[in-house]
Amino acid sequence: MFEIKHTLCPSCSVGCGINVILDNDEVVGTFPYKRHPVNEGKNCLNGRNSVERFNDKIGSDIDLDKAIMEISKEINDSDKVTVLLSGNNSLEEASAIKSFSDENNFNIAFYADDLGNFEDVASYNDVENASNVLIIGDILCENPLVGRRIVHAKQNNAKIFSNIKAEKSVTANISDEVSSSSVGEFLDKYSNLDDSSVIVFNTVDSAEDLDKIRNSGLKVLPVYSKPNTKGVLSIVEDNSKDELIEVLNDTDVLLVVNDNIVDEIDFDFKSISKIISLSAFENDTTKISDIVIPIKSWLEYDGSFVNAMGDTQNFSGVLESDVSSVFEIFEKINN
Amino acid sequence: MSYILAKSKNEDILKAGECGGAVTSIFKYLLDEGIVDGVLALSPHDDVYDGIPTFVTNSEDLINTAGSYHCAPTMIGDLIQKYFADKKVAVAVKPCDIRSIDELIKRHKINPDNIYTVGLNCGGTVSPVSGRKMIDLFYEASPDDVISEEIDKGQFIIELADGSEEAVKIHDLEKEGYGRRNNCQRCDVKIPRKANIACGNWGAEDGWTFIEINDDKGQKLIDGAKKAGILETKSPNEAAIEGRAKVEKIMIKMSKKNQEATYPLVNEVEEWNRCIGCYACRDVCPICWCYKNCELSKSYFKDDIIASPMPIAFQGVRLSHMSFSCVDCGQCDDVCPMDIPVSLVFDKLQKKYQNRTGYLAGVSDDIKPPLYSPDKVEL
Repeated sequence: MFEIKHTLCPSCSVGCGINVILDNDEVVGTFPYKRHPVNEGKNCLNGRNSVERFNDKIGSDIDLDKAIMEISKEINDSDKVTVLLSGNNSLEEASAIKSFSDENNFNIAFYADDLGNFEDVASYNDVENASNVLIIGDILCENPLVGRRIVHAKQNNAKIFSNIKAEKSVTANISDEVSSSSVGEFLDKYSNLDDSSVIVFNTVDSAEDLDKIRNSGLKVLPVYSKPNTKGVLSIVEDNSKDELIEVLNDTDVLLVVNDNIVDEIDFDFKSISKIISLSAFENDTTKISDIVIPIKSWLEYDGSFVNAMGDTQNFSGVLESDVSSVFEIFEKINN
Repeated sequence: MSYILAKSKNEDILKAGECGGAVTSIFKYLLDEGIVDGVLALSPHDDVYDGIPTFVTNSEDLINTAGSYHCAPTMIGDLIQKYFADKKVAVAVKPCDIRSIDELIKRHKINPDNIYTVGLNCGGTVSPVSGRKMIDLFYEASPDDVISEEIDKGQFIIELADGSEEAVKIHDLEKEGYGRRNNCQRCDVKIPRKANIACGNWGAEDGWTFIEINDDKGQKLIDGAKKAGILETKSPNEAAIEGRAKVEKIMIKMSKKNQEATYPLVNEVEEWNRCIGCYACRDVCPICWCYKNCELSKSYFKDDIIASPMPIAFQGVRLSHMSFSCVDCGQCDDVCPMDIPVSLVFDKLQKKYQNRTGYLAGVSDDIKPPLYSPDKVEL
């Protein structure tokens, strides 16, 4: 049976809608979701690929009971257990993971791209209507559907100033001025902009840059790399890369929930005795994990993500699945 | 080619359908008689702005597809090619849908024997998010209260749950940057004459569908639906035929005017400068059928991914394919994350090509475009 169903794109925090094409309950492609207010049917390549890689899911042919027993033993035998939350977790999952961690007195860690937590953030309309846009990072290439709002701002006569380390970039192509200096120097240079200016960023050089951004008096829009980083930040505090490495140095058992931390930080993961991954897809973290439990992907459950501008967006599963959810796995471990 | 007026004899369809319910009735006949495996048509998902292609296999479900969805600018051609190649399918088509189907038939990607095409005359479509904003700005009603919409007599008309209507002139909406999608504003193919039949309300009496029967298959559709007792027909009078022709002529004239106004404005190089090389325009294009095997995906065509692709290596190749094939459906504009007016560039070249060769993609009867034709090698 041919069907087209709505869901959210999981490839970054912008919160785009995406339609999934199903043929006899198999994901066969994507279709523009033109009714979605964030992206109006436009999806970047990462977004379209995120759906199409669904068929590369980790197989569910493991002895789940045996794996759960192994996990229970590992976490019960150690007093240095860290649970790593992820911006890929839905709000509901993140709450359940935090409760599980608190009940068992485990450490909890969460990496938010070193972009920090900003209570008040600019909306996408604020970006479109800004008088000046300061861009830190190659937003047009990496987060195109926020990049599009910057293009609209330029068409509305905003001045675009960008800080990009790469020699060439699409973001630079549309900018009035481009700088490859440090982020701190860049922010200092444009410290006298009017208050309808917006800073859009997906990277910084240091924590001091975040302080400068906070103290700029301008509207700010941090664009995280994962769909629900903003939502998880409302549940737990984030760790900087250095803080996370410190936590990992003091970890014997690491429980990673739907994340690929190996690709994000430079750390000798061999120093951790046991790495346990709950993941829908194979990645570099599952490859080095001692135990890997397949879980439902976002296409197989209902939940909600909070996008970069702070809107909570609900999504519904588009497929039935026999694979366990994060909730079911934690319930089994607790029992 | 001949003309009839048609009306459903099914009360539910008559009530739910647009101007007589003939389209839904013909689909019901095709399904009930087992002539097709299913019907591919739009049905609303979240609301009237959210029309989604749906494959209906039970005629009782057809009622959900009745009515018009101008705020659902979808494309059907590539769906048939990719997902229904081995099925007998009846499909509702706008002019750009049937043009893409015609081009795909020429490329042997759709078997014409497998499809029944019921054309819908088209004055244009509206992007759903922009459409909602437009209603919010220019109408008294809230976009959430709209239960149906219609384009008629140069107006965009909304209907509310209490049966009341509001209308604003499309010209006034478009002057303010709203109204129909840009490609629809310059589209000069309003009646899908490559479909088996072309249906609409232009020239029709109230409660009747005006149908232009384009070929033998179309005639059989009408005869079959009548014989099955679901459709009644009568002949339109001369004034109705002339009235319909007049509407078409006026709309084409307006489109030509829009073409003349917009073609000179586009600065291709400046627009391409913000291309992020995501290939969404290629992937959504109903004419670009090779997709996974596309040469543009090969490593030797890959530029530095953080910069815009070299125009000659991406847009140049696309232009070389699309300048004679573009059906101006505007899907590429709709999906471009950077709002590059891709279809404007392609359509502008298509028109140049048409002026030189007489070939209009998806409309001309040539078996292949002239560049592929041995008797036109002088081009």
